[in-house]
Amino acid sequence: MDEENVSLVYLSTSDKVVELLNQASLMQRDAQKANNLRQVQELIIHKEENLLDNFLDEMLAFQTDKMADIRKIVIGFMEEACKKDPELLPKILPCLQMLLHDENIGVQKKVILVLAPVFKVMIQWLCKAKGGTPEMTEVWEMMGKLKVEVFEMIDSENDGIRTHVVKFLEGLVLVLSRKTQESEIPKNVKAENEITLDSIPEYNKYLKHKKLEDEGKKTFELMLQFQASPHISSINLMTVMGSITNIAKQRPSFFGKVVQAFEALQVNLPPTLAKSQVSSVRKNLKMHMLSLLKHQCSADYVNQITTLLTDLGATNSEVMKNMPVIDESRKRKA
Amino acid sequence: MSNLKIAVVCSSNQNRSMEAHSFLSKKGYRVRSFGTGNQVKLPGPAPDKPNIYDFNTTYDEMYRDLMRKDPELYTQNGILHMLDRNRRIKPKPERFQACPDRFEVVVTCEERVYDQVIEDLENRQKGENLPVHIINIDIQDNHEEATIGAFIICDLVTILLDSEDMDDDIDEVLQEFESRAGRPILHTLIFY
Repeated sequence: MDEENVSLVYLSTSDKVVELLNQASLMQRDAQKANNLRQVQELIIHKEENLLDNFLDEMLAFQTDKMADIRKIVIGFMEEACKKDPELLPKILPCLQMLLHDENIGVQKKVILVLAPVFKVMIQWLCKAKGGTPEMTEVWEMMGKLKVEVFEMIDSENDGIRTHVVKFLEGLVLVLSRKTQESEIPKNVKAENEITLDSIPEYNKYLKHKKLEDEGKKTFELMLQFQASPHISSINLMTVMGSITNIAKQRPSFFGKVVQAFEALQVNLPPTLAKSQVSSVRKNLKMHMLSLLKHQCSADYVNQITTLLTDLGATNSEVMKNMPVIDESRKRKA
Repeated sequence: MSNLKIAVVCSSNQNRSMEAHSFLSKKGYRVRSFGTGNQVKLPGPAPDKPNIYDFNTTYDEMYRDLMRKDPELYTQNGILHMLDRNRRIKPKPERFQACPDRFEVVVTCEERVYDQVIEDLENRQKGENLPVHIINIDIQDNHEEATIGAFIICDLVTILLDSEDMDDDIDEVLQEFESRAGRPILHTLIFY
């Protein structure tokens, strides 16, 4: 602990935050400044959340810092702040919109990455609304614009941007679709934090089920189109494969379409891939097919999946090990 | 870019990953090394009699154990020399699956290890959901190949870290590198 930090020990949280922010604004070194801002984030979001409102503007001011890494930290802070208090969305969303067009690619990617969780927070916030408020309308409309902007970035010239857009689309589809009994939810997703189409109340000023569901389906189609584009890079291809596998496992209504998309992909791999990229992609495909086979929804697609797996070089024992336990009642229904 | 965190992973965190660890840290990179095996295996008096330790055994304890068992054999086959080098780098081998820390690039030294890393990361609790590049370069598990392998890995890491936008450049970099190094490369990206 250096001398400056020793003296901080005796201050109240609020004074400590002031001190850390003052120091940060004078610091020239990236790492030190980053460290201070992370400490402030910890103090005002987790330790004394009543301070969040007081120091929000001071933290947001660092979004124009000349160091890209600092701007990225502020974006991470924005996400956490919204999660803590969705009422901050009207203030934070315009900042994210500005940062989405930052000159630094890394900053743009960070915005795209946090937009999916922020979108979730917004839906949860709007769910509570009875009649709606001007702030809610503003946030709803701004998020609409932001989504369009991110959708367009799927045609970006930058490979990394496209990869991040795919992850955003995945997040969107997961919110805008229904969870069923067969949904396989990742272990770290807590039920109370989850928001899906079925948990959104029927009558809401902003959230209309039919519209949201259609948007979810359209977004999913966009992902399939992206996967089928002939000049897709190997890294984009593997990201979208992983994303639609996640969707299939968590939202069984898409399961069949994902299996179909993989069948089509297997016979029609992009001609632009180099030999070892083909190996990486096929290896990835095999891994995803095995995890789909394990899923209880695979009962209706076992033939397609096992044929595909055999083509991909899976051994009989690998296939048998991942066979789903077929529920008799399901089998009869099918 | 040079503040990116790199992990080098082989099976037992003894030879290939440690050679690369030593090499890369001398060059000033932020590198850590790991093994993915269930246990740490070192050659023994016969191919079917390896020395097996768990990941909690320190390099120093292994050194002393082998010194006691057969100093001549383990000096002659270079194992003692290797353990001595390792204990100067860190106390004990580390298992990749037990490490919660994040990396931007993970380099593996054989396909089985690559598969194990991917399986582990896919099944981890998704935290910040940031991307990590996993790259495999096959390196045979002997001292000579480990030395050559460390050169190759260092070469690749240098190119990747020099890039201003690794996510955008990596596909091209790997393709060029593959033909130059004459070794097939596997590569994927995982968000965790």
